[in-house]
Amino acid sequence: MKPLSSIFVGLFLTFVLLTWSVHCYATFTQNLRWSIDGSARLNHNQALDNTSRIYALGLDTHKVFTYANGDIGYGVAQVYWTKLSNHIPVPFLFTSKDDSEFIIREAHLNFTAGPNWLPNVRVGHFTLPFGLEESIDTNGRLLDYYHGKNLGTKLDWGLSLNKVIRQIEYNVSYTLGGKDKAKSVDGSYAVTGRIGSLSHLDFVLGLSIFDGKIDNVSRQRLALDWQYYWGTWGLLGELALGKDNKQPQGWQNEKYNLVELNKSAVNEQLKLYGQFIIRDKEFQASANKLINIGFSYQFNTQLEFSMSGGLQINSPASGKKQQLARAQIRYRY
Amino acid sequence: MNKLHMVLALTLLVLLLLPGKVNAIAYCSLRDPVAQIAQLYPQKTNQLSIVKTVDDNIRSQVQVALPSNDLHFSELGRHTLYIAMLGKQPLGYVHVRSEQSDWGLVEIVWAIDKDLRISNFVFQRCRSPKKKIAQKSDFKAIFIGKNYRELKALLSADGITAKKSVLNNAQGAAELANVVLMCALKTLLLTEMLWGEDLEKL
Repeated sequence: MKPLSSIFVGLFLTFVLLTWSVHCYATFTQNLRWSIDGSARLNHNQALDNTSRIYALGLDTHKVFTYANGDIGYGVAQVYWTKLSNHIPVPFLFTSKDDSEFIIREAHLNFTAGPNWLPNVRVGHFTLPFGLEESIDTNGRLLDYYHGKNLGTKLDWGLSLNKVIRQIEYNVSYTLGGKDKAKSVDGSYAVTGRIGSLSHLDFVLGLSIFDGKIDNVSRQRLALDWQYYWGTWGLLGELALGKDNKQPQGWQNEKYNLVELNKSAVNEQLKLYGQFIIRDKEFQASANKLINIGFSYQFNTQLEFSMSGGLQINSPASGKKQQLARAQIRYRY
Repeated sequence: MNKLHMVLALTLLVLLLLPGKVNAIAYCSLRDPVAQIAQLYPQKTNQLSIVKTVDDNIRSQVQVALPSNDLHFSELGRHTLYIAMLGKQPLGYVHVRSEQSDWGLVEIVWAIDKDLRISNFVFQRCRSPKKKIAQKSDFKAIFIGKNYRELKALLSADGITAKKSVLNNAQGAAELANVVLMCALKTLLLTEMLWGEDLEKL
């Protein structure tokens, strides 16, 4: 087991012991939310002719820290035991296609008690504030805005300054670029930021920047994201322009464009979406074009079933077209 | 499976046997209605959160108090009442509740005074084409200043729509008036049921 995982397993057990301690119970559980979150995901990758499964079982917690006259801030901690079964390609957190690991998703504190003109300060492991993901959380869902693929990681350890003010919200972070490791690795770092209109409105516009070096790949990105909702329909998109030095020939320009149309039932139990994605890289002869469709159905507060299918519509210069079908059942207790 | 995995599996099993207080969404996506609280209480310097559980027992009590009504599944779980503070002085309370409508869920941020009367409200999410009407003071006046008993008196015999006399004052947004009325009633009822004791101690 990795040292960082051991630390968090220790913290997890400490949490459980604290919860059971009658003396501490009232104080500790005040303003605490916690859920056991379990999911089983089935994936069929047609291009690789491979069927795999991912199982996750974890604890999702949220606590508001207060004093007599107000909130000090809040903390989020999510630790998941995650098991792969025949999953290829092997994700970076795992060592083999059947590996299992304890994974920290979000683990951060956000200090909110400063005066109105001062930003909140977040410290810990959090999702990088960039693009659509900043206002639409895809944590544990099949819905994906390719955050990790665009930036090199979805989550990272570091610090952010964030605030919601009258007509805008912003979030700017400096993180260490170590992804799951709370340290800089070979000079890694990431500066990420997004400023946008209020994310609960019917029309949302955001501008994001990214400059970082992760896994020895330097990347720069500038992105525009937008959302428009009309009744139970939503139309949204993200356009990211930038460059990276992943290829041997040096810096190469890259363009990523996502457009999504979604529809919800009036009771929000059923949600459907379709995405069209263009990923254009300078060193490639033609752009990759993908279509994703999916739905999720929330049976009740606990149980959700979702499915998605992705298909590459252009013919790649080498290899087979990407075709991925996924199904997931998720239970939060 | 090594010993550590067994310990964790057992721990998780025991936790599963404890009463659940679940929310359907991951907690990292929770957002406080910061901009709306600032709009409702521009002079506030901080806010004090009190988190309580809306469970099946509370849901049943709502159904008894407001027959023909139910809480949407997203309204179960842990929810927050915010106390808007000016220094050490409570200014009033803020609570967010959702109500189902023909345009999806309508999320309303309610400002409640210390006597548990509606003092104002703003929409966090409302995709009705008549939203602008519901933001006008004439429409809001139907609800502002009223407590639970006074709002309940606006309900018609079916228990889910407002009386005709109320709808006639809704500036042509009758369906939205019904949604806002039901949401206001549930908000005041739940505020008193769940947070009443805490608010008395302030």
